[in-house]
Amino acid sequence: MITAEATTVTSPRRWSRMVRQNEFGLLMLLVFVTIVAALTLPGFRTSSNISEIFTDSSLVIVVAVGEAVVIMARQIDLSVGAILGLSAYLVGSAVGHIGFAGPVVGVLLALLLGAALGLFNGLLIVGVRMPAIIATLATLSIFSGLQDVVTHGSQLYAYQLPAWLAHMENSNLLGIGVFIWIAAACVLVVSALVRFTRWGRDVYALGSNPEAAQYLGISATRRTYQAFAVCGALAGLGGLMYASRYGNVDATAGSGFELTVIAAAVIGGVSLFGGSGSPLGAALGAILLFELESALALLKISIFAQQTLEGAAIVIAVAVYSLLSKRLRRPAASRHRMGLRPAAPTEGGGGSHSHAESTSLVSE
Amino acid sequence: MRPLVSRLSGRLSRWEFGLVGLLAVVVVVGQANAGTLLTTYNLQTIALNGSVLACLALAVAPVIIAGDIDISIASILALCGVFMARIWVGGINIWLSAVAAIALGAMCGLINGFFVVVLDLPALAVTLGTMGAFTGVAFLILGGTAVTGFPNGLVELGSGSVPGTQVPISSAVVLGVLVALTYLVHFTSFGRSLFAVGGGRRAALFSGVAVTRTRLLAFMLAGVLSALAAVLYLGNYQTAEATVANDQLLPAITAVILGGVSAYGGTGTIPGVAIAIVLLAMLQNALGLSGLSGQAQTIAVGALLIIAIGGGTLIRGVRARGGPRAEGRGRLFIRSLLPPGKR
Amino acid sequence: MSGGALTEAGERRDAIVELRGISRNFGGVHALRGVSLNLRRGEILGLLGENGAGKSTLVKILTGVLQPNEGTILIDGEACVLHSPQVAREVAGITATFQEPMVFPDLDVAENIFAGRCPTRHGVVDWPLLYRRAQEVLGVMGVKLDTRTPVNELGVADRQLVEIAKALSIGARVLILDEPTAVLSSREIDILFALVKSLRDSGVALIFISHKLDEIKDLTDRVVILRDGQRVAERVTADAEVGELINLMIGREASDQFPPRATSAGREVMRVEGLTRRGYFHDVSFTLHQGEILGVAGLVGAGRTELAQALFGVDPIDAGEVWLDSTRFIPRSPRHAIRCGLAYLPENRILDGLVPTMRVPLNATMAVWSQLTGVLGYFRTRQMQRRTAELVKRVELQAGRIDQLVGTLSGGNQQKVVLAKWLAAEPRVLILDEPTHGIDIGTKPEILRIVAELARTGVGVMFISSELEEVLAMSTRLLVMREGRVVAQFDSPADRDRVMQAASGAAVPVSA
Repeated sequence: MITAEATTVTSPRRWSRMVRQNEFGLLMLLVFVTIVAALTLPGFRTSSNISEIFTDSSLVIVVAVGEAVVIMARQIDLSVGAILGLSAYLVGSAVGHIGFAGPVVGVLLALLLGAALGLFNGLLIVGVRMPAIIATLATLSIFSGLQDVVTHGSQLYAYQLPAWLAHMENSNLLGIGVFIWIAAACVLVVSALVRFTRWGRDVYALGSNPEAAQYLGISATRRTYQAFAVCGALAGLGGLMYASRYGNVDATAGSGFELTVIAAAVIGGVSLFGGSGSPLGAALGAILLFELESALALLKISIFAQQTLEGAAIVIAVAVYSLLSKRLRRPAASRHRMGLRPAAPTEGGGGSHSHAESTSLVSE
Repeated sequence: MRPLVSRLSGRLSRWEFGLVGLLAVVVVVGQANAGTLLTTYNLQTIALNGSVLACLALAVAPVIIAGDIDISIASILALCGVFMARIWVGGINIWLSAVAAIALGAMCGLINGFFVVVLDLPALAVTLGTMGAFTGVAFLILGGTAVTGFPNGLVELGSGSVPGTQVPISSAVVLGVLVALTYLVHFTSFGRSLFAVGGGRRAALFSGVAVTRTRLLAFMLAGVLSALAAVLYLGNYQTAEATVANDQLLPAITAVILGGVSAYGGTGTIPGVAIAIVLLAMLQNALGLSGLSGQAQTIAVGALLIIAIGGGTLIRGVRARGGPRAEGRGRLFIRSLLPPGKR
Repeated sequence: MSGGALTEAGERRDAIVELRGISRNFGGVHALRGVSLNLRRGEILGLLGENGAGKSTLVKILTGVLQPNEGTILIDGEACVLHSPQVAREVAGITATFQEPMVFPDLDVAENIFAGRCPTRHGVVDWPLLYRRAQEVLGVMGVKLDTRTPVNELGVADRQLVEIAKALSIGARVLILDEPTAVLSSREIDILFALVKSLRDSGVALIFISHKLDEIKDLTDRVVILRDGQRVAERVTADAEVGELINLMIGREASDQFPPRATSAGREVMRVEGLTRRGYFHDVSFTLHQGEILGVAGLVGAGRTELAQALFGVDPIDAGEVWLDSTRFIPRSPRHAIRCGLAYLPENRILDGLVPTMRVPLNATMAVWSQLTGVLGYFRTRQMQRRTAELVKRVELQAGRIDQLVGTLSGGNQQKVVLAKWLAAEPRVLILDEPTHGIDIGTKPEILRIVAELARTGVGVMFISSELEEVLAMSTRLLVMREGRVVAQFDSPADRDRVMQAASGAAVPVSA
């Protein structure tokens, strides 16, 4: 038995590692923003405002959590808005027609519909081998077109919704809105899945280094399908919430929503290169986004300026995370390679960031 | 002249011919179905309404070829249109306003380029942010209102025809852009640099290609062409507001991919994108004529994209299995990313 | 019969893995021909061979990445088909680690070790158990590493240890180490070797692949030599001479391969003084003359590539000065460096040297596109074709290959294209980084000949290579780098042992 000491990083203990996690910084930022806003803007700290922020963000959180999973697997799903809209109409009218359908049935229907649509995405990406950006662009077109077809030019009206659905937004459980419960549940469940199941760890591995994952027998096929199914299911659930919130659902429901969702994830530290970030981060990102919106509205900054600032926030967030990750990443003491990585869903191609490529697998 | 043409057509491959075939199918079926597809009036409508789509697709194609992406083009269009309208209302000559708008477009492209190229941030995220920011500024300039009543000169440009013909002036403009862009991308060193950067950014860097400059210029070009689209839009629809054309982003990108440009960059042709634009415009019109609403048409667009890419993968797969192996020793590296025929 | 070999019966009795008559070809190119091999428990088998001899293919077959066209694989005496890396791992217990560790940078050490196989309890990942088990494996290896560290914070050496830990945790009975020391410092190599020996003592069978004959001598019990896809010999390491091994690997007298050494050295073309890049190389000084080939020897990881890339303007320089033809040169970018007369042939051909989606002419002329640009940016294609034809002749590339996408060319042909690119640029200084790496044996002498010719035309050549024979044979003068510093300079054909010493650890005074 030898006792050799490797040249190692004397890694700091668990506390300091936790501090260095993105989510911690984000949480601190969120707390900071909340406190500052609450202190300086009287309108901010009213309970109605707080509750509105949380209710608004719940919808985004539910879908963003699913999108985060997909992005962590180094993919992307641009069709979540359309899935949401389709689900809002279809499930909304379905439960309206089926008299006995209670919340449970409704939620299940929404999840199943969303999952089915998500699996279709997976089929295109895994089976037809389309890059995720293109595949979900195509399904975005198809699903939103379907929205038009199923609504037959009319819309779903609030009175057609069953009572439980119509009032879901306003109901409270133990004093906290149902929406918030749902969002919290989603965050908890998905976070648990991602952190505590082999499924979740495989998703991270897949996003971090797809080649190595494949080599080790982690089924990229299965995990990709599952990631998109989860994302779709949550988008479907979001659709149900949408129906409850807005009452009237027409063919344009959910249009553009995917961008808000991706923005939340990006601000929440989910890296578009895959392998890092968390559902919790996406949730925090969503809350931050809505707090900013609320604060800006209270500052009487025109709603138009808000949009500008939110766009700027995304760019700033990405820049900050990029800077942080470059600082933290130790240059491998000897060589380090930068390679072309076609798998990145973000850029058109010619990737720039490093994930060491196994060049020894070149046949000689 | 002739060697140029023959050289270009030599480079066009099965993909472009396939697209032309699809176009023929759409035209034949559409005409049989509705009968009014090929009337002058209808073709004019297609051309007029398709000029925005064409400009946007042509704007983003070089960016994708160079390996990046820009989803803020529709927002740049809105911003430049609104800006142009605003300063015209303020008293500036309409044509000067147009020029100013195009300059603004270039600046928007430069902003995108700065964050993506200089700061080395992921293009999707950055242009997602600038998309919101540009739209926001557009709203700031105009509020929720709209500007109408543009001078005849502009209206003539946007919806009039070339004197003596039935060809819309805007189509002539688009054609001019198409020719110029084809020249730029396929016949200049800058164009070669686009493909080099998209096909192997680090190798291009190591070989002395001006990578940063090429990528920046691609983004700026996208901004300029988006602004041009705004000018044409104002001439055709004669309304400027902050929400214009935000439904054109997806079709524009679809047209580029459908046109054979690889999502990863490094391959594709401008003529291919042009054919895809015509195909999409025709298809949407034909579907409209047979009663399908605008939003429902997108089903066909999405399906077309899937069939095109999927069909390509299928053909490539068959060929890869059956075809002769090249040399064996070397690494058949990006083979799978090439559209069929570009081998 | 090679001295010291056991009787056949004795060999087979102990063999964990036996290969019989393995052949594999790729569309007409025979990577392996009738190779037979056996591997016993508790031994370290060295696998020797030049680039292109078939070692890599053999490893892929053993690890289930490729299937042989002919021949059988026997595991513990039973015929087996290794469909996939998973099968090879789980059924046969065969794993491999490569030069560049295949790790998940965003996950921590423990997760990397157990990737895809985290211990679970009732379907939920058992984190405490995971960390405990990871700690155990590392303990068996005698390595101290914090299992919660994200791997992207580790240096390459530690990543390699994680890879080995991963193999051990799977219960590998056969561990293949493919060029593991290429990226390690000498201290790290000592640790690795101690680990490998202890693994052998505990009954694991190991295959050790390396170009470094001193390591082979140091570590292995037996050596098998491959050449041109065939097994040509086997020796007991203790009885074998390095020179004999080299001859067996190369198959002819070493000097056959190499062109006559460039001897003339004109005036000084480049002078480097005190060049430093923190963390990569320190206080590097040397001169380069017209017409000479300055060899830069050293183990991979010595900082040579980093030095080259800093000179070429890819990476920043923290201190020091560079002079080109007596003019101060501050590299700003590769484009700038090229304009000042530098050229760099990168180590990583595919990623850094060629654009795979383009054909030969565009790649070969890429450095001089500005010369092919006319009015309004017009790209003179016909001129490009003409220049390509000239270049292709100079690098002896078959004309039929011109229209191919460079991604489909063989390694040797690709390298010729890269060389052609730099010929076109007419540089005054050409830096070659491992120019014959991954090139088949037939093409290597051609490449080296072209390099020698280039030197003869007055170019100052820096020749970075980890292949000792090659760098010794080609160089007019020789620099040796180790751990970021120049540790020796030799001005005339140098003694191989002294170079080895300098490269790997024993300090040698800078000599004449």
